[in-house]
Amino acid sequence: MLRFALTRALSLALSLLVASVVIFAVIEVIPGDPAAFMLGLNASPEAVAALREQMGLDGTLFTRYLAWFGGMLTGDFGVSYTYKVPVAELVAQRLQVSVPLALYALVLSTVIAIPVGVIAAATRGSVGDYGIMGATQLGIAVPNFWFAMLLVLVFAVTLRWFSAGGFPGWDAGLWVGMKALTLPAVALALPQASILARVMRSALIETLGQDYIRTARAKGLTRRQATVRHALRNALIPVLTIIGLQFSFLLAGAIIIENVFYLPGLGRLIFQGITQRDLIVVESLVMLLVFAVILVTFLVDIAYAAADPRLRRKR
Amino acid sequence: MIRCEDLSVSIHGEAILREVSIDIAPGKVTGLVGESGSGKSMSALAIMGLLPRGAEVSGRVMMGDENLLDTPERRMCDIRGNRIGMIFQEPMTALNPVKTIGDQVAETLIVHGKASRAEAREIAAEKLTRVGLPPDRFPLSRFPHELSGGQRQRVAIATAIALSPELLIADEPTTALDVTTQAQILDLLNELVDELGMSLLLITHDLAVVAGMADHVAVMKEGEIVEAGATEPLFRAMEHPYTKRLFAATAHQPERRPLPPEDPILDLTDVVREYPGPRKGVFGRGDPFRAVNAVSFQLHAGESLGLVGESGCGKSTLTRAILGLDPVQGGEIRAFDHRVGPDFPNALRSGIQVVFQDPYASFNPRWRVERLVAEPFHLMPAPPADRRERVAQVLEDVGLNPDAMDRYIHEFSGGQRQRIAIARALITRPDLIVLDEAVSALDVSIRAQILDLISDLQAEHKLSYIFISHDLSVVRAVTDRVMVMKAGEIVEAGVTQTVFDAPQHPYTRQLIAATPRIPEDWQEAKHA
Repeated sequence: MLRFALTRALSLALSLLVASVVIFAVIEVIPGDPAAFMLGLNASPEAVAALREQMGLDGTLFTRYLAWFGGMLTGDFGVSYTYKVPVAELVAQRLQVSVPLALYALVLSTVIAIPVGVIAAATRGSVGDYGIMGATQLGIAVPNFWFAMLLVLVFAVTLRWFSAGGFPGWDAGLWVGMKALTLPAVALALPQASILARVMRSALIETLGQDYIRTARAKGLTRRQATVRHALRNALIPVLTIIGLQFSFLLAGAIIIENVFYLPGLGRLIFQGITQRDLIVVESLVMLLVFAVILVTFLVDIAYAAADPRLRRKR
Repeated sequence: MIRCEDLSVSIHGEAILREVSIDIAPGKVTGLVGESGSGKSMSALAIMGLLPRGAEVSGRVMMGDENLLDTPERRMCDIRGNRIGMIFQEPMTALNPVKTIGDQVAETLIVHGKASRAEAREIAAEKLTRVGLPPDRFPLSRFPHELSGGQRQRVAIATAIALSPELLIADEPTTALDVTTQAQILDLLNELVDELGMSLLLITHDLAVVAGMADHVAVMKEGEIVEAGATEPLFRAMEHPYTKRLFAATAHQPERRPLPPEDPILDLTDVVREYPGPRKGVFGRGDPFRAVNAVSFQLHAGESLGLVGESGCGKSTLTRAILGLDPVQGGEIRAFDHRVGPDFPNALRSGIQVVFQDPYASFNPRWRVERLVAEPFHLMPAPPADRRERVAQVLEDVGLNPDAMDRYIHEFSGGQRQRIAIARALITRPDLIVLDEAVSALDVSIRAQILDLISDLQAEHKLSYIFISHDLSVVRAVTDRVMVMKAGEIVEAGVTQTVFDAPQHPYTRQLIAATPRIPEDWQEAKHA
């Protein structure tokens, strides 16, 4: 198991290295001078020269790559052109919103989806199953920004339980922060939970048809015992894959929801970075997201091995 | 012990069992024989109360004074695993892959509240030792994928007997296993019956297995018991025509007209086939695994050559090499005086065809039979213009109506599918057909028909066969020469009759001894 984790970790490091080269190359390949490109057509030559120096565009390709990559390893991502603050600081602020939001949505989606999927599978073909399947179909089909606005209308405007948007910061207290993230998390979780519940249902139905479930029943386990003790863990393996993909998506894919709720998250930062041609910010964020995706994949791999002994190395 | 009275089962209105009555005597082995679809497994599931959804049951299954069909589910859960244990055909999938073998055996005890967790593990170790898996060599922490099929079946048996049930139901327990493993498992079951004084309901399609094991036999056909009684008298008398037919099919010897020997068409010299070793570290690899080691033989035109051996001995690997599907790492394979390899000409390739074991998995379900059968034409430089006529011809050759070509494969039974597979092999008018376990998945009566067909086609088209099987009796019936393979090597080769009558190598002797057979004097009595 440890060896498995180590080899996976090594491949994680390799993937990161390759990704950094690709991202660096893409930024370099953009024709023309990145500094001039960022400043636009009417920039003065002095401003361009100043930005060039700031971006570290002097020196050979290799030394620039080393400086960029080395800087990132030590937490120095450069200085944002538009915000005039270190990118690391900018990102750290945004992560304080995006990571808790993604986790919140993921936990909500998992906590809802797994029992719902299990109930649907266990009562396959019943009215309840059809109801659940219909509801999840709806959950996938409804655009989440529309659902988000609906939530605002009902819970913020009419009932006044939650605020309609904005984020007071964690300094205001954990409870206040969580409350501000609740509606966005629900809006994000709905489609994810719908997908996950369907995956859970079909995985469990397939597992329940396996020979070892029949063996378990022949041992004297009740239908429920056989489901919980034997089927569930086997059925979780495909579900883990989807959970991993969903977390990566939630981290950066929440742009629309962040906009609906005026949340200062990563998605909005990328969006602003792109529209304002703040390449330093974009470059660093892309690298960060690549890192997040690779890390999540690594964790999912480890979780696979924990769930399925066949994936561990042979003794 | 258990008495089924007028047990009938229908699923969604279709009758599966019709008034089945079986007596399972305490401490005895009762054999239930029949072909697939005859209702054997359904009878077992009805006793266990594990019939699929939509099943309607009538009649009675009496265990003591209790009718199991009326027993509420909660109480049935107490009975299952405790008073009645059950094992199944497919040991590879019968165990939960994510739980250790110790946990799976212990679970039977824990679920019934007969032992604490710690005690259960101790008893599990005892039971596993009893079935031949002592913890010093097979720790309780092993997972099923770390065991072979026979070992997994032993785990399943340990699970089923953990609470010393009064009845063990074994549904085709050895069908998926090799002959030697089968013999060991059957011995184990026999011992357990004596030791624990339990009854055994042995469900199988193999008359020879029943003949060697059972005290009583019931023969089942289309959901009905056609004949039942004590084993030996039943075999000697065989009153019902179906029993006779079944027996005749088991012992069936197709009529063969040996062809005069001709030139070799296939010539193997010191063929070696290796698989890369397991990964070690990030870039390294362990020593390669040698699946086929220095195999040499010749096959002559019009000859049938048998290849027998247990699973994993390299039979299929050798076949793939002969078909040119995998490269060889040493030696040479020559067919029709050409080296078999990547540059083996397609025109010659069409001279070698193959029929695989599984008639269900070896066809594309979205193609019509015409396209399936005509597929090997792509090997020919110029596909014949009379494609439909050629397909119709081969379909007739294999005993099917040419109309079959416009239908899809799911419309055919297993036996018919295997005929279509043979038609597909015949369409290029090959010289050599490799039959890789081609009749192993078929019922005995269908198997007899296919063996006849194979023999007739050989005489008609002057075909050579390589007949690969783990079933010695079939190989004996249809081949001129036989090779016995073990761990990648040919340990014995010779004229079939000679090898079977006077085996030289200890392994061949072991294989022949392990093959279950019906005692000869039972058969003689019948013929007399």
